[in-house]
Amino acid sequence: MRASDINRVLDFVRDAFNEASKVWWRFFDWLAVVEWRQLFLTWFFVLIFFALVNTPEPALWYIFVSFAVKVLAGGKRKAELMAREATTQANVATLERRLMEAQMAALQAQVEPHFLFNTLALIGQLIETDPKEAARVHAHLIDYLRSTLPQMRQRGGATLGKQVELSRAYLAIMQARMKERLHVRFDVPDFLGSAPFPPMMLQTLIENAIKHGLEPKIEGGTVAVRALVVGADLHVEVCDDGVGIDPHADDGVGLANIRERLQLLYGAEAALDISTPPGGGACATIRLPYKMMEDA
Amino acid sequence: MKPLTALIADDEAPMRDLLRSRLQQAWPELQIVAEAANGVEAVELGEMFRPDIAFLDIRMPGLSGIEAARRLYEQSHIVFATAYDQYALDAFEQGALDYLLKPVSAERLATTCARLQARLRKHASADAAAPQDIGQQLAKLTTLLENKGKPDKPTYLRWIQAQVGSSLRMVSTREILFFQSDEKYTRVQTAAAEFLIRKTLKELLDELDPDEFWRIHRSTLVRVDAIAEVKRDLRGRQMLKVRGFPGELEVSRNHSYLFQQM
Repeated sequence: MRASDINRVLDFVRDAFNEASKVWWRFFDWLAVVEWRQLFLTWFFVLIFFALVNTPEPALWYIFVSFAVKVLAGGKRKAELMAREATTQANVATLERRLMEAQMAALQAQVEPHFLFNTLALIGQLIETDPKEAARVHAHLIDYLRSTLPQMRQRGGATLGKQVELSRAYLAIMQARMKERLHVRFDVPDFLGSAPFPPMMLQTLIENAIKHGLEPKIEGGTVAVRALVVGADLHVEVCDDGVGIDPHADDGVGLANIRERLQLLYGAEAALDISTPPGGGACATIRLPYKMMEDA
Repeated sequence: MKPLTALIADDEAPMRDLLRSRLQQAWPELQIVAEAANGVEAVELGEMFRPDIAFLDIRMPGLSGIEAARRLYEQSHIVFATAYDQYALDAFEQGALDYLLKPVSAERLATTCARLQARLRKHASADAAAPQDIGQQLAKLTTLLENKGKPDKPTYLRWIQAQVGSSLRMVSTREILFFQSDEKYTRVQTAAAEFLIRKTLKELLDELDPDEFWRIHRSTLVRVDAIAEVKRDLRGRQMLKVRGFPGELEVSRNHSYLFQQM
């Protein structure tokens, strides 16, 4: 018991000491950056105050200590503080780089050679049997590639309208391949077309819905894309009535990448929610702050 | 001699059309007696028509092409069709199984057809293929493709299901900061929200990846990657700070060895 009491006292002393040193360093930092004129002013007030209470010694001590510290160590401390600020800026730069890398990864992961090969084979086949359909699929493929490939260079592609356009082209190609096994429903009001929306997120969710939800299901099903404004947020939702989610399946690079980018772009204001509705299948919803238009 | 027969199985209709038309050019005498749109249909039609050759896509809904092949190889010669997949290709190269790379090119198909014709003629005269051998190869292929080259990694729980209103929320374990048992329920904490689930901590402990989540207290499981720092408080207890969560978690004495200084 005794030993633990002593420990407690020691802990308290240590804590008090920590607190005191924290206050001292804060005062030190303030001294380092404060202008001389302001310092003179505080000296003046302190002198008056302590003169009024008739004990001028603390005031003289204050003036002496602050003068000495400012002259002797102020310059060094100031440099340190500036260095710290530079580090913060560097951290912001690191964050920007991470975002850039995440965006790169998102795009590289998307240009799937399988998809390209199979679509080209499909077009080749359709040229022989159904030239009109071949031309349609060909046009969709061009739309898809145009909005997928140059995304890094053009800065204006990140609107919901553009992303929906890209996904429509992709889904049209998938419909040509899966035929009656794939149905598509879009419920995106026109006025949301200009709302900023990060690239390739909607596309990843749609590809997941087809790959993990509908392709393993014999009779196929429907992909439903919906966008709506809820309060100050934009919700973009991709639902399928496929086989649902296996709780033991890895959540995949695609979803992790979306989460990472949302976090870097919007912090806690955005989220990706996955749920399984009672009727089966899976729903993925991206929530982010709604803006009417991109900043100029 | 009666003409040879074939079955085509692929879940994408245009791919079936492509293979059919290419086969008609490369091997006009071959009769395509049935086309299947998934693995289950492939087995049904295969058993009904007993074709000499079955062209099976590997990725199909219902049953995969390999599973279908395991039911059909004793009666039909199997040719797999696959899109590029390194693991599958390695397996095919090692074994004697025939395969086509999708999308099928006319030249490649011509070579395969010539090889098939030669093999089936030999087969008809000697009538002694080795189905057991093929069966073994298919079994090997199944394990190889299912594990994608990773040797028996156990499967851990990756999604936590939480009831929210009328639907089930799927929370990825990568989002979760920690689990805390709370009388009848277990609390699941993410950076953005908290959920209550009925699964007990004990059950979670058995199902989750032990490298992903650590038990730090009788009532707490924490995701290792989310740990920001470990501190000692005034009473000498170890406290964890977790990224994205303002509070602190207590590490019980029994588990403090997890955070001993190196």
